[in-house]
Amino acid sequence: MVKGYLCMVLHGHLPYVRHPEHEDFLEEDWLYEAITETYIPLIAMFESLDRDRVNFRMTMSVTPTLASMLTDTLLQERYVKHINSLIELAHKEVERTRWLPEFQKLAVMYLNLFTHARDLFERYHRNLVLAFKRFQDSGNLEIITCGATHGFFPLMDVAKPSVRAQVRVAAANYEKNFGRRPRGIWLPECGYMPGDDEILKENGIKYFFTDSHGILHGTPRPKYGVFAPVYCKSGVACFGRDMESSKQVWSSVEGYPGDYDYREFYRDVGFDLDYDYIRPYIHPDGIRINTGIKYYRISGPGNEKRPYDPDVAREKAASHAGNFMFNREKQVEYLYEALGRRPIIISPYDAELYGHWWFEGPQWLEFLIRKVTFDQKAIRMVTPSEYLAENPRNQVITPSMSSWGWKGYSEVWLQGSNDWVYRHLHKASRVMTDLVRRNPDAAGMKRRALNQALRELLLAQSSDWAFIMATGTHVTYAQQRTKNHLLRFFRVAQDAAGDNIDEGFLKELEDKDNIFPEIDYRVHQ
Amino acid sequence: MKRKAKTIQKIKRAASKPKPKGKPKKALPLKTVSRKTETRKKGHFSLRLPGRASAPTAGKHEIPLQEMKVEQAKFYTGVMEQPVYQKSVVAELEHKELAWRYGEDILVLQIRDPWWAHAYWDVSTSTVDRLRKEMGSSFGGGRWHLRSYDVSFINFTGSNAHRFFDTAVDPDAGNWYLNFGSPGTSWCVDLGLLLPDGRFITVLRSNTVALPLDGPSWVTDEEWMIPDDEFRRLYGMSVGLGPNVSSPVGKLWQERLKKDISSRGIASMGVSSPVRKGQEKLPFWLVVDCELIVYGATEPDARVTVQGRPIKLRKDGTFTLRFALPDGRQDIPVVAKSAKIDETRTITPVVTRKTTRQP
Repeated sequence: MVKGYLCMVLHGHLPYVRHPEHEDFLEEDWLYEAITETYIPLIAMFESLDRDRVNFRMTMSVTPTLASMLTDTLLQERYVKHINSLIELAHKEVERTRWLPEFQKLAVMYLNLFTHARDLFERYHRNLVLAFKRFQDSGNLEIITCGATHGFFPLMDVAKPSVRAQVRVAAANYEKNFGRRPRGIWLPECGYMPGDDEILKENGIKYFFTDSHGILHGTPRPKYGVFAPVYCKSGVACFGRDMESSKQVWSSVEGYPGDYDYREFYRDVGFDLDYDYIRPYIHPDGIRINTGIKYYRISGPGNEKRPYDPDVAREKAASHAGNFMFNREKQVEYLYEALGRRPIIISPYDAELYGHWWFEGPQWLEFLIRKVTFDQKAIRMVTPSEYLAENPRNQVITPSMSSWGWKGYSEVWLQGSNDWVYRHLHKASRVMTDLVRRNPDAAGMKRRALNQALRELLLAQSSDWAFIMATGTHVTYAQQRTKNHLLRFFRVAQDAAGDNIDEGFLKELEDKDNIFPEIDYRVHQ
Repeated sequence: MKRKAKTIQKIKRAASKPKPKGKPKKALPLKTVSRKTETRKKGHFSLRLPGRASAPTAGKHEIPLQEMKVEQAKFYTGVMEQPVYQKSVVAELEHKELAWRYGEDILVLQIRDPWWAHAYWDVSTSTVDRLRKEMGSSFGGGRWHLRSYDVSFINFTGSNAHRFFDTAVDPDAGNWYLNFGSPGTSWCVDLGLLLPDGRFITVLRSNTVALPLDGPSWVTDEEWMIPDDEFRRLYGMSVGLGPNVSSPVGKLWQERLKKDISSRGIASMGVSSPVRKGQEKLPFWLVVDCELIVYGATEPDARVTVQGRPIKLRKDGTFTLRFALPDGRQDIPVVAKSAKIDETRTITPVVTRKTTRQP
């Protein structure tokens, strides 16, 4: 008998990084690595489940910035170039490791992995959004949206028109890509500010997620804790994250990805091999970077690393999936008795952790889905929409302001290294609102300028820049991005306000920051 | 009731601007904002460069990076130092800097967590001029303060706050972290001048923020009632402490924070702990490995095998092979067979690697 539900949520997101002005741009690798290591393995998993007629349920955000990059022809071409270069390197590696059978086996594994990635990529006409859409259309995957550029809403509280623009642009972009309106949203960084649900409601969005304390510290007290959704006064449902299942995956005691048999993320041939040999596959300026070919397992606490063994790791992934399922069964059985209704366990993760960081993550997920489908009866995997259709009666509370960042609130995005950005972002937001008020129906070039102004503002608002400034690598890039989009915004806003538009400049910006071609500046109000 | 300023935390601004050591920044001439740039020497309200604003620090708070390895991994390319990017075309703009201030009167309050908020402000020159004119000689005796009002559950009129406290600030700092210390309350802040006679002249007023609770609400819902002990068990399970928790409900959140089972940040600690150790920088280290390059040339149309496996020749008939060379002996027969005549040549390099270590 089904005693509870399990809802696995993956948050697929990368900030918009596209630099047509450079032949080769380091930060674009974020996308290429995530395509090879996360998105393609996930799609391959969906295909494999589909082939075996496993009627699975998954929820996944494909953020508007990610979807825009995945559908961009320049980045698609560059990905093909990138994967071709990796395939070439893998061929060389197979030859180079001829006298080291343990390593040659791995070189062959990577060669296969990369070639399969390229095949799959081409099979979907280089457009992975089509692949995700395919599984949404088949009813297995529920794709949710996110803020247009992943702006952190709690720090936009004095700039509500920008929150509205983030949601409306996102919903329009979702509709363009997936052929229907979004039902759910992953709030950027899981950041919720009471009242933002009203803006979701305006856009027809039915549900969102908060971290566990968002619901637990809501008012009045939630009768079912995080094990049932609540409704905000707006009628939008809010699902709370379950910490126990998160802990199972990530905790230092029980956490799976730190297992010594799993692949070590930090040992990469880009750093390990002879410079002249690896030179064509690293940064054109000669800086060593990760290539994606990693030969070692975590091995243990020390620096001594042993070669990775994919068969042993696969066994581990299977046993970890079994362990996760067992714990969910126990949890659900306990809660079913305690609550007197079927609990829902919400387990959200960054999608990029699966495959990119935790190499075996997609395997683990596939084992989990298959085991839950065939090996037990207590848990059913659901999407939030399905759950709400079956369980429409829920308590009404006001969730608490919260995020899933370190310490649970805004500190990651609001501290010494990044607090300077808000003065400028808020100023730009006020300028934009004012422009919209003054130009209720602009046409021609002015309309183009106002649309571009909104693109620049949204791009400046990505929470990723503040996050990177706080955490330390690629800081200069994040600062530059914030600064450049703001400067472009102020310049184009000034031109538009003064009816003095430099078309050459505008055209250049439209080509460079080409996200959301369908944008309508009037959503910023 | 007036209280002394609580611990004030002013984070160093030095690193926070994109180019910390800038010359005085020029405001971009915007139609929508005042064109005036701040002058930098007007009595008390001088604007100094960000790095030099005095910075009282109380307890550094830094993000524990090791706890965020997983999230960072998304942005990890292996590059630690910053590659230098060429300037692109769009931007003559890229040489410019953002305005340091916009010459506006504004005071904004933002929530950092249930205890702390961040305030940033800007005071226009015209406002300072007006104050100086209106206040006459007393202007010079005034000291800039932030006055924080507890305005929980009221419509704040300016005089009906439950309580307030003052924090002396350097107006040039432009921003300050304030510790309100009471989750679940609402706050509003004035920036103003505190005069020697005790009068406070409000110059700017902020928006109001409602701090989140740091534990469950005491408000219960008749229709969805739950006994306290049951809620405690549920809460314990919800935050990953398990059903058998002993602390009262209100303390469970602190317990969770202490146990570091917070959001994805913590979680990552687990993942990274074994991995991180592998990354430890040793005081001194040495890594040595060997590869062997085998190269040669023959007729471009000859068929060549190395250790029995066919290889591809370049157009000019040359070839290069590169092998990782383990300890031990390798016999490497290179066999070339002519395409035109019945002739085969074999050359066999024999290579032995033996590695010793000290210590």
